[in-house]
Amino acid sequence: MTTTTSSAADTASQVPDDGRVATILRPLGRPSWRWLVAVAVAGVGLAWFLQAWVFQLQHGLVVTNLGDWGYAGGVPWGFYVGSFIWWVGIAHGGIIVSAAVRLFRMEAFAPVARLAELLTLAALANAGLYIVLHLGRPERVVTSILPNLPQTLQTSPLAWDVVVITLYFVLTATYLTLTIRADLARSAGRLPRVFRPIYRLLLVGHRPGERPKAERMAWWLALGLIILAPFFLHGGVIPWLFALLPGQPGWFGPVQGPAFLAAALASALGAVMLLAYVFRRVYRWEQLIDEQVFRGLSRWVGLFALIFLWLQLQKLVTGLAMAPEATTAAATAMATTPTYWVALGLLAAAVAHTGYQMLAPARFHLGRTVAFAVLPLVAILLEKTLFVVEGLMYPAFDLYDGVPGSYTPSWVELSSMVGAMSIVALFLLIAVKAVPVIELDHDQQEVA
Amino acid sequence: MSDLRDGQDHLHERWEPWARAILDETDHDTDLGVDIARDAQRVAAGQLDEDEFRWRYEAAYLDAFGVDERPQLADGLTRPDRDADSTAGDGEVAAADVPTVVSRRRVLAALGGAAAGALFFGELFRQGAFASTPGIGDPLPMAGAVRPGAGPGTVAPGEKLNVQYGMVIDLERCDGCLDCVQACVSENGLSEGVLWPYVFAYQEPEDVDPRYLPRLCQNCTRAPCVMVCPTGARHRRLADGLVLTDYEVCIGCRYCQVACPYGVNVFQWGDPETYGGGFEGERRDARGVAVKGDPPKGVMGKCTFCPLRQEDPDQRGTAACVDACSMDALHIGDLNDPDSPPNRHLARRREEAGGNLPTFRLLEDLGTEPNIIYIGQPPSSNAELVEGSWTYEDWGLTEDRRAVLEGPEPWFRRMTQGGRA
Repeated sequence: MTTTTSSAADTASQVPDDGRVATILRPLGRPSWRWLVAVAVAGVGLAWFLQAWVFQLQHGLVVTNLGDWGYAGGVPWGFYVGSFIWWVGIAHGGIIVSAAVRLFRMEAFAPVARLAELLTLAALANAGLYIVLHLGRPERVVTSILPNLPQTLQTSPLAWDVVVITLYFVLTATYLTLTIRADLARSAGRLPRVFRPIYRLLLVGHRPGERPKAERMAWWLALGLIILAPFFLHGGVIPWLFALLPGQPGWFGPVQGPAFLAAALASALGAVMLLAYVFRRVYRWEQLIDEQVFRGLSRWVGLFALIFLWLQLQKLVTGLAMAPEATTAAATAMATTPTYWVALGLLAAAVAHTGYQMLAPARFHLGRTVAFAVLPLVAILLEKTLFVVEGLMYPAFDLYDGVPGSYTPSWVELSSMVGAMSIVALFLLIAVKAVPVIELDHDQQEVA
Repeated sequence: MSDLRDGQDHLHERWEPWARAILDETDHDTDLGVDIARDAQRVAAGQLDEDEFRWRYEAAYLDAFGVDERPQLADGLTRPDRDADSTAGDGEVAAADVPTVVSRRRVLAALGGAAAGALFFGELFRQGAFASTPGIGDPLPMAGAVRPGAGPGTVAPGEKLNVQYGMVIDLERCDGCLDCVQACVSENGLSEGVLWPYVFAYQEPEDVDPRYLPRLCQNCTRAPCVMVCPTGARHRRLADGLVLTDYEVCIGCRYCQVACPYGVNVFQWGDPETYGGGFEGERRDARGVAVKGDPPKGVMGKCTFCPLRQEDPDQRGTAACVDACSMDALHIGDLNDPDSPPNRHLARRREEAGGNLPTFRLLEDLGTEPNIIYIGQPPSSNAELVEGSWTYEDWGLTEDRRAVLEGPEPWFRRMTQGGRA
């Protein structure tokens, strides 16, 4: 496989478990041919997306299948907004796993914490990308949003979103930098020369004794993030984009916050599992990323999927039993759409598999466990897009019920997902060559 | 009388410096605040009639803040004449208002109320507005300062304005001829399939003939589209309360479109020129904000109530759709002015109907405070859309916009088609 650049300044004497560290640092540096193939595939994906985006910028959003709701029977929000919600949801994986390790001492998850944090950064970048993709005038995004932010922040949930996502991005990036500095300092000399400028930047002002202080800062940041992300991001401003609008009964109501959060956590942990599984296989990290990690994470995926299903039950029962007419219409539409049931079915399968695993722990199979944990990812993307679209098709103004509507994403819209996936892949492919994607020794203090 | 004066002077010594200190911290007129607080004590003491207290300060409020929080007169509320004898804002009590004998107990009550009164009114001044929104028929509130919106010459959603443009639409007269739609399309150079006014043709279960409901922008006082806009591009114009889009600020996120319960927004998905549109007149209103005509690519459009006309003394109170309506069904103007076209029409129709005229506003329970008043019955939940006497096709208009919103063929499809040919 890949080789690691070694030098006389090897700091191995300071590292408690040299074999472990060597395994973690193995992927760094010179690329293997498999790595190059992966980069090429992701590059093609990104290029395909970029040409689709240029096409959209040239001709306008007319190249999507979006339209005007109301008399024109279309939906102005669709796949882009659904995907935006999905990526923000996935971005919760990093902080949930990291917080579990750092705040709740769930050390078993430590090996996948940094992978999850890296995924968070890439996913958040994609969420931002989807906001820009969705706009009719993306070139105005900074000049139009910033000047009036003090006013718009008072009432616009979209202004809240922009602020909270930016804050989350900054906090996560700071957190990752804090925790990665110690590892970079420790493995100095074993790191590839080509990324030296990046290391120098990340290690600005580094002092050998900073580790305990950096750990404390990371702890507080993790605490801030664990409060911010679930309660105010996916359990807050993201669902509030919809839940505050009384004109769309399919969206309005307090259940959206908890439902969005449960969906986010299920899909985020599913994504972390998939990522950990791929890295474990590719770099033969069976010793580093134990099966226990997957057993543990799959239980949480199952639990959050179950909570999501239970909240759907709440929605269906309150919507169909004796609700106001417009709410009933929206709930009926939801309940009669096959895609909705496909999504719920996938989630139910994930829950059932978790149950099976708990009853028969000896029958554990890693590949199968990861496959079932990925189901919520697919399900939530379907469900979120459907949620956005159906909310707009069954408004409170029920004269519009007589206007038939339909929506399927266009090739340009679908190409965006190819691009977003490629961005995540490229980011991780570069990261794995540049930094240790597993914390070298998370729990131990600096050895003086 | 002299008892009262003495009592008041004594009061002033104790609370006035304190009230002044509070009011000086605000941006507002300290003297006016002190006068109001003084009279508020008189109201608390039962020495001053509450209605008189409200009307006394109206002129001073208008001077200071340029607004008045009156409920809309078009809902049938008549505005009481101000007492010619009372002078606004001078703090003096007209002789007729003051009881000649004031008991000692009342003076003590006023003394006790002084602290609360000054603090209360100081706080109201600080906030710049009264917290509660008046309902129809509620006693008239005093005016407050208007909170600015985002951008030049704008006002925050929910604020009551002295001038609030709106419409009265007489459904008993509308015959669904679509003249209004056609006129709007030509006035604004709208792209094909863009219908800013849309006329619903519908039937109730018991109906034989269709009914019509022209759905224009409701120019809501608490406009959800303005509230959700992340840029301030969608705004309420301070001068007349019209809800407009700054075409040069809008980023095309379409949040206004999904938040509007009436579905009045129509987006510019492509180049207007490519899709049969393109507006070539003056776009900018007196503030210099581009608000008129078919919007540029990637920007949100909607019925605007012809905002440049409302600034022009010769055209004020007209709109393309209103001018075109041969049935006298549409009436645009200041809903707060009893003499505006919508209020005159409403008054005349009320009189004809012997005071028993059904009116409604669309989806009023959503709390948007729409500024279009419909004469007639609202559509029930059993109403079904039907074909009207005239169709959009009769006018050469396109009703199904999606049919004309095809994007261009991508290169790979052109290549495969070329290969086959």
